[in-house]
Amino acid sequence: MGRLLALVLLRLRLELRSFAGARERALGMLLIVPGLLFASGLISLLVYFGVRALDRAQPEAVLPVLSALVTLFGVLFCLQPLLSGVALTETHDLRQVVHYPVPFPTLALSSLIANLFQPVVLSELPVTLALALALAGASPRLALAWFGALLSLVSMLAAAQTVGFVLQALSRHRRLRDFVLSFGLLLGFSASLMPLLLLSHGGPLLARMARFLVFTDLFKMSPLAWGVRAGAYGAQGDAVLFGSFAFLSAFFSLACMLASGLLVSRIYRGELDLGPSGLSDVTARMIFPGPVGAVIEKDLRSAWRDPALRMLLLIGLTGPLLLLFFLLQSGRGARGGGGLLLLAVFVGISTFGGNVLGFERRGIGLLLSFPVPRWRVLVAKNLAMSLLRLPHLGMVALAGMLMAPLSAVPCVLVALGATLLIAAGADNYLSILFPVPVPAPGQSPHAGASGGRGLAAIAISSLFLTGALALAAPFIFLAWLPRLLERPSLALVTLPLAVAGAAAVYAMLVAGAARLFESREPELIERILVEQ
Amino acid sequence: MTDAIVASGLVKRFREKAAVDGVSFRVARGRFFGFLGPNGAGKSTTMKMLTGLLRPTAGEVEIEGIRLSDDLLAVKGLIGSLPEELPLYERLTGEEYLHFAGRMYNLPRAEVRRRSDELLEFLSLQEDRRKLLVDYSQGMKKKAALAAALIHNPRVLFLDEPLNGIDPISGRIVTNLLKRLASKGVTMFFTSHVLDVVERLCDEVAVIDKGKLVAQGSLAEIRTQLVTTHDATLEDVFLKLVAADVERRDLSWLG
Repeated sequence: MGRLLALVLLRLRLELRSFAGARERALGMLLIVPGLLFASGLISLLVYFGVRALDRAQPEAVLPVLSALVTLFGVLFCLQPLLSGVALTETHDLRQVVHYPVPFPTLALSSLIANLFQPVVLSELPVTLALALALAGASPRLALAWFGALLSLVSMLAAAQTVGFVLQALSRHRRLRDFVLSFGLLLGFSASLMPLLLLSHGGPLLARMARFLVFTDLFKMSPLAWGVRAGAYGAQGDAVLFGSFAFLSAFFSLACMLASGLLVSRIYRGELDLGPSGLSDVTARMIFPGPVGAVIEKDLRSAWRDPALRMLLLIGLTGPLLLLFFLLQSGRGARGGGGLLLLAVFVGISTFGGNVLGFERRGIGLLLSFPVPRWRVLVAKNLAMSLLRLPHLGMVALAGMLMAPLSAVPCVLVALGATLLIAAGADNYLSILFPVPVPAPGQSPHAGASGGRGLAAIAISSLFLTGALALAAPFIFLAWLPRLLERPSLALVTLPLAVAGAAAVYAMLVAGAARLFESREPELIERILVEQ
Repeated sequence: MTDAIVASGLVKRFREKAAVDGVSFRVARGRFFGFLGPNGAGKSTTMKMLTGLLRPTAGEVEIEGIRLSDDLLAVKGLIGSLPEELPLYERLTGEEYLHFAGRMYNLPRAEVRRRSDELLEFLSLQEDRRKLLVDYSQGMKKKAALAAALIHNPRVLFLDEPLNGIDPISGRIVTNLLKRLASKGVTMFFTSHVLDVVERLCDEVAVIDKGKLVAQGSLAEIRTQLVTTHDATLEDVFLKLVAADVERRDLSWLG
């Protein structure tokens, strides 16, 4: 018991100290707490009135719907580390304590108890109480109903812990970890888009699903819902069903905890060896010439082979896709291609914030140890970033063909290119002044290596963004002039002018950024290396 | 003869604390120079300043007659460095990594290919050349980083704990290579905690403690300065120089 308490206190103390050491995290937590309180209150009200309304309108639907919702919430909670990006193991990493003579189930239990004190979990307590109140009212059965709801919460935590250890076992194999990361990011992104899609086109589908749920009570089998069901039966005064479901729920939590203990022991004794990561069997090719070519190739390869970066690139396509969807729906694209121009500028300006030096991570020390003029390094990084945006360019070209006459496509692409060049040139300054090291694959996105640079950086970024747009505006105008005057032949003059002008502005931006780079090089290296 | 490395009055302060405090030394061309000190003494900070990765608060560095502050890029073309924390692009294969390094030194492609092949063969990385660096063991990563530091045939090599994590066979291969490079006139700046390796390899050593240089010279010269016995090992000399109190009473509860 003493060891269990010591382990729980250790974890809580370390978490508190992590805030003391990082003002940004402490500030972030201060901002999150009111948000959590508000969300907790709002969800509690929704749950209370929702359950009461459902109970009045269709009492037989209460249990099936509650079971389904609790299961959905529980599954998302279990997969949360995966969905949030790259943190597979953040709250389940017991490496530092595993060598002490403490039984593995005790270690797993300590981690579970410490998880109970996480702000997100604490914010669920009012929700469970609201649910119990909605089910039992202010009657003596309220205690049973709340007990049942709490059992469900504990079972979610226990299941989430087991899933966390399974993910951790997978993450020991580099290729599996990469796959899981890619899959998790895609799943998380799809999950975040799902409400939008369902609300826009999924009304009938949702209704059919709800009817099916009520009819079959499919989630009766879900262990995550057993606690809530026990609570509901307790509220109805059915002692036998209350006892049965409460027992099943407690048993499930215990089984999860034992499974976690077993997983911990097997993971840390190396018994879950998933085999070697395997040979990549990649033939090294040198395609582009010189140091600029070397940096471009290195960046393209690194980005494509890094699961998080690869998924970010693909997910980055969805912003323009959504804008295109909106433009097509609203019919704005058909009126002379103004919407198309908007899309092109949006895609071009999204290069801003590329954080090209932050993606170097520890490699920044190596990159800057080479005797390559810094303007070349910046040009190479910008070119690589632009090449990674080729799918965006293709998408805009395709949109151009769908939304405007063929003669508009070159104008759109030049407008995009001009914006992209100038945005990349302006972003170099931010990348040098406020480098944000990108966490390595598998590292928590909330670790010290990531984060913002405070309000001043945001203000300066906004200024630079506005400046980039202002600098690009004349060239966008030049590119679009033939469309405005409806004289396509004018494009023969204006498009080369727009390209040359944007290139000249870009060259000036890079020259200035290179001087800044040279003067701040050691500070930049220090900042990135210290934070990695 | 021009000195390969000249450090004059190097100071590096982090806020109020001086990590390196007025360090000055010269290393003649072709010398194997050992830079020693206890943990936190300022070795890595000094090395970072010498390679241009850290700006000194005060002082100046000259490499092969070129002041770092005058032409940093020219200096970077002359040196190779192997820092303690390896700067690797883990999503490149070993071969791609060497190709990248060679091209960053502006070597022709055919030459990059030839030197990479030789280095991979020499450092026993041939079989793993197509494996991503993230899948390399620590020792293999070190060898890959060393290969990248050598690919442009540098005039001065900065090596921070180059033998850490390397197996004895590879360790011997690496030390033989370093000795051969030194015999060909390449200057070595070498830090290590393995004092018998330093004793075996280095012509000259400097010892830094709490940011200040406490001794410099050949081992024989330092022995003489310290009035130690002729057969005193480098470890004895080192412990005396940093005034390390290694004699402790037993722990009362042990045994």
